[in-house]
Amino acid sequence: MWSDGLTSPAMTTALAGAALVLAGLAAVVLVAPVYKHILCLRYLFAGWKAVVPLVSALPAALGVFLLILVFAIMDGFVRETREMTRGTLADIIVDAHMEGLPYYDDFIQRVLGIEGVEAATPVIQTYAIVRVKPRVSAIKPIVRPCMIIGIRPAQKAEMGRFAQFLLRQTVPGMNADEKAHISTARYLERLRAAGYPPEALLGVPSDFRASTPARTGRRPGEPPRPGCIPGLGLIGMPFPVQVTKTAQEGTGARVLVCIMTGVAGVTLLFVWQASRRHYGRRGWRRAVLAWVLAVVALLAEALLIPVYPVREQRLEVIDVPLLDYGDDLLVSTIPVRPSGALEKEIGGMPKVSEKLLAVVDTFKSGYWEADSTHVYVDFQAAQQMAGMEGQAESGVRPVPARASQVHVKVRDPAQAGAIVQRIMDVRRQFLAARPEVGLIQLSINTWETQQRMILTVVEVERNMTALMLGLMFLGFGVLIALISYVMAYIKSRDVGILKALGAHDAGVGSLFLGYGFIIGLLGTAMGMAGALLMIHYLDPLEVWVNQTLSIDVFPREMYYFEHIPRHVSVPWCMAVGGAVLALSTLASMAGGLLAALRQPVETLRYE
Amino acid sequence: MSEPILEARALVKDYWMGAARLRVLHGVSLRVARGEFLCILGPSGSGKSTLLHLMGLLDRPTEGQVVFEGQDAFAQGKRWRDRMRNEAIGFVFQFYHLMPDLSVLENTLLPAMIRTPLVRWPFATGERRRAAQVLGDLGLAQRVRHLPKELSGGERQRAALARALVHEPRVLFADEPTGNLDSATGAEIMRVLARLNRKGLTVVTVTHDERIAKQAHRVLQLADGRLLQGS
Repeated sequence: MWSDGLTSPAMTTALAGAALVLAGLAAVVLVAPVYKHILCLRYLFAGWKAVVPLVSALPAALGVFLLILVFAIMDGFVRETREMTRGTLADIIVDAHMEGLPYYDDFIQRVLGIEGVEAATPVIQTYAIVRVKPRVSAIKPIVRPCMIIGIRPAQKAEMGRFAQFLLRQTVPGMNADEKAHISTARYLERLRAAGYPPEALLGVPSDFRASTPARTGRRPGEPPRPGCIPGLGLIGMPFPVQVTKTAQEGTGARVLVCIMTGVAGVTLLFVWQASRRHYGRRGWRRAVLAWVLAVVALLAEALLIPVYPVREQRLEVIDVPLLDYGDDLLVSTIPVRPSGALEKEIGGMPKVSEKLLAVVDTFKSGYWEADSTHVYVDFQAAQQMAGMEGQAESGVRPVPARASQVHVKVRDPAQAGAIVQRIMDVRRQFLAARPEVGLIQLSINTWETQQRMILTVVEVERNMTALMLGLMFLGFGVLIALISYVMAYIKSRDVGILKALGAHDAGVGSLFLGYGFIIGLLGTAMGMAGALLMIHYLDPLEVWVNQTLSIDVFPREMYYFEHIPRHVSVPWCMAVGGAVLALSTLASMAGGLLAALRQPVETLRYE
Repeated sequence: MSEPILEARALVKDYWMGAARLRVLHGVSLRVARGEFLCILGPSGSGKSTLLHLMGLLDRPTEGQVVFEGQDAFAQGKRWRDRMRNEAIGFVFQFYHLMPDLSVLENTLLPAMIRTPLVRWPFATGERRRAAQVLGDLGLAQRVRHLPKELSGGERQRAALARALVHEPRVLFADEPTGNLDSATGAEIMRVLARLNRKGLTVVTVTHDERIAKQAHRVLQLADGRLLQGS
């Protein structure tokens, strides 16, 4: 959740800025005359008028709460979508399209020489039609368009989270959460230790052939067919099933009691004042003590409410695979010649190349487009299917093998844009060194540029929500301005007395700025605490709302996430808090100016 | 006559009621000697409170000068006048004007609170001791933690007097200090003022009550914004 590392530049800047602001505020507070602090706190919290700042802090608290909560969830969506998309692609994609890039290994060597590039691998990408013959005979064969992705498994596994998306070849005993968050390098290490070396991810295990001869239809002694890894969405069928989930029973009650404790804690202030007024100078201590005990009891109750895991049944739509591991997958492609022309049969009809592949694994990245269209096969097999393998055409010189893409991984994703420019320079050098390649069209983009449409929609939605919620603060600003103005008006005589005793105009005015600042601080603290509490308990709260109110807050089949994504950005929290504090302080200038400009004799002349 | 601590030179004060000008003071000049007890006597609306506010540097005259301890007060900056009000001048008002949210002790400490930053406040023990002593001298030792609303009129005026005296001012201005009190309490307040004057404090008071004026060394009569000749 707190994925912003303390060492990230944004976090360091935010923390340094916050520290400077805090140091400045502390200096202002310490050197300000003591009357301002005493009077400001008395105006805020003495007696029943303390209701005013507390009530006026509520809109700020609500705004901060919503801004942090909504932004955390939407930011979580963006980040998880990025992770899923990036996991199936690479940081930078050099696309030679269907014409293909010859001498790709030479090109890759040159790219690897660029500072900041960690790895690069050739990829074949070609359109195909896949035919799935389900194991259940009642279901008709399913024919779907797909994208054949030819990879070098070991290199592809190092490029992103590909190995972590595989469903069969996984580290035994590793749960889904650990698998999702472990680093790729560490995962590959453990995968290797578990007997699944990355270079063999597309290999057909020998036991597939031995145990399922009837299903594969392969004759004894027949060489193994190339392995393939289709997406679960491609070979699966959506099916509603009852899924058993673990929920934290008691969390909802605990959160409710926590909120009640907070309310009781705040009302302690009123109990204190009211009891002083009604029970005299001796009796009020007993009333306050009783209330403190009640608050402590509530807090104890909140902490003692047992939270234990319970298993509950939920209806979810999942992809049920129609094929098992070792089953055949028929893939049809139309190879393209190096010249760009389609391969044709005698008679001029386009040549359709059909290939039987053995399903050795399935993958589920969460990125719907990949899960429902991609079939990963070995690089060389894909080259043959796409007609990109090296060949010697009759009467002409040999044609080099081609790759349709080169995927590049960089050390620092933030530098991807700069590295794209350097790859463009490498392209120029490569074409100069290999004049026989000709003027080939290469699109060099970061994965983010390629997937701009998906991310832009979520980001625009997030920004619009933040903007609309931000507008709510304008209402809060007007409220603070009115309250501080009325307060300065009511306290006109105090203003006159202070000036008669030698207080400066600006000093008396800043008293009301402090008033607004503390209201903003109160609202920020309440809103931030509420939002962080809610984010922390989001999953159990969602289950609780689902059970209690029968409202499906987060339908899994629609969002394709296992849990409600969230990401708390510390700089964002600081920005929201800072904005509220600045707004409340600025808005209270209405009262501050009235107080500063007020002439003392105007207020002292009469009772 | 000893050296004047305060001098008003041809003070004119106008108020504007929309487009209409109302002249409250018409060139008032007077001198207040150090250690003097001066009483300005006049009927309601004669301009005596306005004159007191001008001499106490609370308001700016339309014309004329206020010379305080040899300095033309309105030729100085506003900060200088604020500092003089905080350190050299004490005010007592007819309606007490105590801060309702502060206790008697806090009200008394207000001038010190205005000039002391928070960081130095824990070390301001001298001010606290002095405030407690002044309150004790005025018979309010048992009332230091009370709010002004819990005090009687006489106690409130004594608390206001304590606030005006705590910083040992050089001039004390009292605007109808007994105007809101019964005669016995009023006489007690005037006895306190007379006692302070005997200790060397310069006192300038305005009143419309001739019995109060008898306590003063010198009485000036103000009528329609002018000092009467021979008063």
